[in-house]
Amino acid sequence: MALIEVSEIVAGYGVGPDILTGMTLSIDEGTSYCIVGPNGAGKSTLLRTIAGFLKPRAGEIRLQGKRMNGMRPDQMLEAGVCFVPQDKTLFPTMTVGENLLMGGYLIRDRALLHQRLDMVYETFPTLAERKGQHAGTLSGGEQQMLTLGRALMIEPKVLMIDEPSLGLAPMIAEQIFERIRGFGSLGITVVLVEQNAVRGLESSDWGIVLDLGSKEFEGPASGILADPRIRELYLGRQLASKEEHR
Amino acid sequence: MSGIPIIEGPLVREAAPDLAPERPPGTMSRRITLIVVLGLVLLFPFLARPLFSSYNYVMQLGIVLLMSIAMTSSWNIIGGFAGYISLGHGVFYAIGGYVSALMLVHWGVSPYLSAPIAGLAAVAFGVVAGLITLRTRGPAFIISTIAMLLLVLLFLDNWELVGGTDGLNLPLSQLPVEWLKWPLYYAMGVSAIGAVYLSYRVAHSKFGLGLRAISQDETKAEVAGINTRWYKVTAFALSAFFIGTVGAIWGYTLTYIRPVAFLAIAIAAGMVLAAIIGGRGTVAGPVVGAVLIFAVDEFTVRQFGQTALNIVVAGLMLLTVLLFFPQGIVGSLKASAKLPAFLDWD
Amino acid sequence: MTHTVQVLVLGLLLGGVYALMASGLTLLFGVMRIVNLAHAVFVLVAAYLAYVVFQALSIDPIVSLSITMPVMFGLGVGVYLLLFPRIETSPRYVEMTVLLTFAVALVVEGLLTFIFTGIFRSTRPGYVTDAILVGDLFIPTGQLYAMVVSLILLSGLWAFLQLTRSGRAIRATTQNRTAAQIVGINVRRTSALAFGIGMALAGASGSLVSFLFPFFPAKHWQWVALLLALIVLGGMGSIKGAVMGAIMLAVAAAFVSDRFGPTWSPITFYLALFLVLLVRPQGLFGAKLRL
Repeated sequence: MALIEVSEIVAGYGVGPDILTGMTLSIDEGTSYCIVGPNGAGKSTLLRTIAGFLKPRAGEIRLQGKRMNGMRPDQMLEAGVCFVPQDKTLFPTMTVGENLLMGGYLIRDRALLHQRLDMVYETFPTLAERKGQHAGTLSGGEQQMLTLGRALMIEPKVLMIDEPSLGLAPMIAEQIFERIRGFGSLGITVVLVEQNAVRGLESSDWGIVLDLGSKEFEGPASGILADPRIRELYLGRQLASKEEHR
Repeated sequence: MSGIPIIEGPLVREAAPDLAPERPPGTMSRRITLIVVLGLVLLFPFLARPLFSSYNYVMQLGIVLLMSIAMTSSWNIIGGFAGYISLGHGVFYAIGGYVSALMLVHWGVSPYLSAPIAGLAAVAFGVVAGLITLRTRGPAFIISTIAMLLLVLLFLDNWELVGGTDGLNLPLSQLPVEWLKWPLYYAMGVSAIGAVYLSYRVAHSKFGLGLRAISQDETKAEVAGINTRWYKVTAFALSAFFIGTVGAIWGYTLTYIRPVAFLAIAIAAGMVLAAIIGGRGTVAGPVVGAVLIFAVDEFTVRQFGQTALNIVVAGLMLLTVLLFFPQGIVGSLKASAKLPAFLDWD
Repeated sequence: MTHTVQVLVLGLLLGGVYALMASGLTLLFGVMRIVNLAHAVFVLVAAYLAYVVFQALSIDPIVSLSITMPVMFGLGVGVYLLLFPRIETSPRYVEMTVLLTFAVALVVEGLLTFIFTGIFRSTRPGYVTDAILVGDLFIPTGQLYAMVVSLILLSGLWAFLQLTRSGRAIRATTQNRTAAQIVGINVRRTSALAFGIGMALAGASGSLVSFLFPFFPAKHWQWVALLLALIVLGGMGSIKGAVMGAIMLAVAAAFVSDRFGPTWSPITFYLALFLVLLVRPQGLFGAKLRL
């Protein structure tokens, strides 16, 4: 059954124009998604709206059938929808360990909290090594791992990640994608937004192409990668440059 | 519109025959308003004579209102056009008042003659203070202007030359009582008209455009090549002139001056309040705001006497405007395209 | 030598109370980016409250903390929820908070003047006129008690922020508001709580101020500049910075007062404010005053 259903969402920032102009899609449990599209298509805006950072001007968002319009981000998190934005949203003067503990803010049970912490350290040994280090002093890749590790602390149902590879060197980005692919086996439904469409689609089951604030196309990720029309319209430049590097 | 060639085939044809340059809509009503208002200001003392029994009181009201308009319109140059909110503009008021008072007491110079000099003294201080305070932006700037005000208050309170907190006594005017207020009134009138005119000229100049750019996005303005420092300091200094002149005249009406008479926070606040309520960043806004505050103030005094409730009302008005229509009356009307032409001077 | 130590001690004693006043103010900025120009006037509200209960019920001003703190906490939460959510989305938000709190300060000052008039007031518990002699050092008991109370409250604040869940939420929100939302903190509620605590600290300061200085409604403007200087020096948003700034400037002001006379001591704060804003706007430990 659909975990998240978005129907005809219209949204924008402040008194500005509509960025999302009637977006409809659904997220099913167990599938991993990648949302691609040109700049300004509304990819980040979509995630922000679902996560509760932006109130939709029209339309509906449903989580497992329940209407979730206008919920606050912390309420969405309690419902199991976790959002990792693209700007650095770490607590810079807190250590790695403290950041992870903050990730488990909603967990009242101390024992469970520490259990989860151990689990995250297992999944991300690099973080375990640096548990006493201040988050602001980590490298780009390590910070991204910390953001993901922090998100894992509450074992969300849905994990929405906005541009995980942004600003990372290709090899590090590779590692991040590896990790994200592993989340599926933890029972987390992953929704990625990726500028690096090829890598993003290669890491996901299902692809959604956005343009001008609404859904243009969706289908199996491999199908989208293979489809020449879509490649030309939305992925062209990246594929061309990727081909050059082969 | 005329004279733009449209290329049509091998021929080039003029787009339209020469039209007479169109007048922007509303020009007539603006001209009428201007004439009426100027007429009222000039003739008020004559008209008031037969109409009001408490003539001197009414003349005093006129003096206060015109002074208010001069101050608010001046403040708007830095606070509205450039977007730098100064809560310390009372310093120019004080400098004007004290420079003129000292010239009167020590050299017998009439305040009507020394007012422009007092204004220039305020401008000079504005340049110096501006160079320092305008290194900060936004909230830091607001705080630094408060510190500037308190610093000047502290100095004046402790300076024997100006009498410190004991104050300074000024010689009284020699005019008979019935004509006493007339020159004061007209001096304020000249300042008010001057300040509004200055505001108008700034708004319609390249300088004003630069200020607006700074208020929208200072970094972009810098990148676009505007010497933001020069622009800001000039705006700050310009805003001082008429506040200085009315300070000089006002000191003369008081006949006994102390620093707090010019530097009370309520006065600095009044300028800001009136400009924000009326609509800062517009030409008509400060005038509208000053008139409104004046009216509300008078009403409050009538109802409750000269109590602290005036400040309460002022504060509540500012709160309401900030929460519900931060662009002020003129600003909000303009934004929703409902501004009547006679108020549209931008 | 003893004279210098004496001046130093007096500065330190006063610094403790200033630190208490400033801690609330800096907390508000840290959590909500609010520059609260009305902070000092709320200190006065509490001072007047302490005065009233002292006059009417003979309640000692330090004991009155148990009244002023909860009352101001409630007032703080109320004021926050009433006024601030509306301007949250304004462009130039921090500037708006300055104007908004300025307006609040005007309203409150007007009301205080209306109710209490401009007469200088203070509470006069017995210990105000006493002093302890430690060697050659003259330590006024009133200021000593105020300093001790301030230290206790500041320690309590520190403990709250470090050890409780709500305290962690406040610290997290201070560091990165978005990140706090991401991990499930209800930033609206946390902000209201922080505002309440800030006001409660102002309330405590008010009780102490009531016997330390004679006060009248317009006095708060002097404190506004003073407090802003402290927190700007220490770094806006940093409580540690506020305490350091308070001690540094209070001691400096004590020396200025000793050398040039008490009327000139405020200059220390004004000059410090200008200097810091011009040279190192983020102060010792703080975040830059961004728009």
